[in-house]
Amino acid sequence: MFPGSLMMGAKDRLLPPSVPYRFFVAAVAFHLAAWVLLAVAGPDAALGFVGGQGTALAALHLITLGTLAMTAMGAAIQLLPVATRRPLGPVWACKLMFAVYAPGVALFCTGIALAVPGLQHGGAGLAALGLLIFGGLVAANLRKVDDLPGVTRHAWLALAGLLGIVVLGFALVVDFTKGFLGDHGAIAAAHGVLAAYGFMGMLALGFSYVLIPMFVLGSAVPDVLGKRTALLSAVALGLGALGAALGLGVLAALGALVGLAAAVLYLKGMRDSLKTRMKKRLEPFFRLVWIAWGLLPFSLLLALPPALGAPLDPWGVLWGFVLVFGWLLSFVTAILQRIMPFLASMHSSALGGKPALLSHLSPKLPVDIHLGCHAVALVLIGVALAGGWAWPMRLGVLAGLAGAVSFGVYTVEVLRRYGSHMAAAAAAHQQG
Amino acid sequence: MAATTMDSGEAGKGGPPEWMALALDAAPMDVRGFLAQGEDPFAAIMEAAAVVEFGGFLVIDAPFNPSPLRRVLAGRGFSSYGRKLSEGHWRVFFHLDGGADWESGAEVQVLPEGAMTWREDDGIHIDVRKLSPPNPMLAILRLIEGLDGDETVVVHHEREPHFLIPELAERGWRIARVANEVVNVRLWLERAV
Repeated sequence: MFPGSLMMGAKDRLLPPSVPYRFFVAAVAFHLAAWVLLAVAGPDAALGFVGGQGTALAALHLITLGTLAMTAMGAAIQLLPVATRRPLGPVWACKLMFAVYAPGVALFCTGIALAVPGLQHGGAGLAALGLLIFGGLVAANLRKVDDLPGVTRHAWLALAGLLGIVVLGFALVVDFTKGFLGDHGAIAAAHGVLAAYGFMGMLALGFSYVLIPMFVLGSAVPDVLGKRTALLSAVALGLGALGAALGLGVLAALGALVGLAAAVLYLKGMRDSLKTRMKKRLEPFFRLVWIAWGLLPFSLLLALPPALGAPLDPWGVLWGFVLVFGWLLSFVTAILQRIMPFLASMHSSALGGKPALLSHLSPKLPVDIHLGCHAVALVLIGVALAGGWAWPMRLGVLAGLAGAVSFGVYTVEVLRRYGSHMAAAAAAHQQG
Repeated sequence: MAATTMDSGEAGKGGPPEWMALALDAAPMDVRGFLAQGEDPFAAIMEAAAVVEFGGFLVIDAPFNPSPLRRVLAGRGFSSYGRKLSEGHWRVFFHLDGGADWESGAEVQVLPEGAMTWREDDGIHIDVRKLSPPNPMLAILRLIEGLDGDETVVVHHEREPHFLIPELAERGWRIARVANEVVNVRLWLERAV
């Protein structure tokens, strides 16, 4: 009885659970691989890192491409069509996306770690193909949506950032062997801005507007606020990426300040939603969200010194660490921690039985251990990078590794409990 | 047959508003044919509403209680009152009076998220269509958390709310049945045994 209601009456399609879960399991595996690589490489690999091939860059991409983007892809293909009430695309395209992307990331990171151009080029090509399939699927979905501007505008910005990082990423990879870029570091910084604040950051903000109110049962974030953060983010990304690429530090710093304004508005929207929440006791995953939200504006403040000419060691590497491991990795592992049992519960009544309870699917001890280790790793590695000290770096990496192992245990346990529930449901179904 | 009613704004009033006597003279616009053919009658209703003068009436016959339409027209100054005449046949009377107390003369209750609830023979109905996410989920959970006993909740939604399933399970509720109709996906929620 209202415009567009006929389309909204269509039955939503859930993907087979194996499709999003293959992304989540791969994300957890790459997370573990990154910390293993850092532990094996020793503290010198990360201390003073300001670019160039090797284990530090490989570990960084295991986190960014392997964990952050992989999780975003798995979550988006399942959540986007449900949130926007529009179909995403064929299941085979989602499977193809994973089939090229996951091995692409593995090859690319191996190539970076071992400085093998063939592996780098092949891996980058496959990973880029996977990202472009993802971009195509999301764009096709978003084109049909006009009633979620707060979410869709951030998603469009993320896709624009994706195009930018693919182009700049290829240029950087080829530059390792051809050396055609005038300033490799400047392009790498622009690539980092577009990847972390653009692609991942915009997906994080856009999905926050749907997921956080849903998980805490808080009020919806007003569209007008989403539109404002999208506008400010677009300006910030333009200034930041252009300033970094052209070596115009003041422009990049201005971008960071505008980005800070967007972050403050975003956090205000989240605070308002939290204030009205029905769930007075926040779930364990939210502890990581608090860390992430604290470190998002901090990362933007930390972007100012290197943009304005402070030495990249330690300012540049500290900024990159807080941005990727602090804001994004904390946020993504928080969402992953919540979404894996959530999707399992959603699918668990497929055979007609009782759905599995979220509380039964989520073991608490592994996430407690992960939280503690992750927080310790952030502090110790941050201190090590700031002071150039090896021993806190060594301890911090070990803490990160222990956290990644614990998160792996959590993932296996969620899937095991889900599998047990479904096996019991299938047996009951067969018995009639 | 009039619907079992629940007065939201004025306890004990229960019956139709005073303007109903005048509204009975207006010819109803029957949109059930549109919906049976899979067509959305919204535009036609808006056209009809646009020519109603202040103090005038619009009467709609629909196969269900058209709660989103009532909210939309309330925003344009219409008070409304609905009656269930028979199974699959509702008659809703609209009165262009400014709509300041549009819900006080109706048989529905409006929850904080904007969802409308009313009681029928098969349980408490809640209409969450046209609400921004996650307000449909919030309204449904708020309703079931306030219920005692084994009453059934009938949800009128735009789609199957997959995200609701885990939250219902945590509260000991389940979706017992789903019916997909044009512009109205109905879900029967019951306590899990």
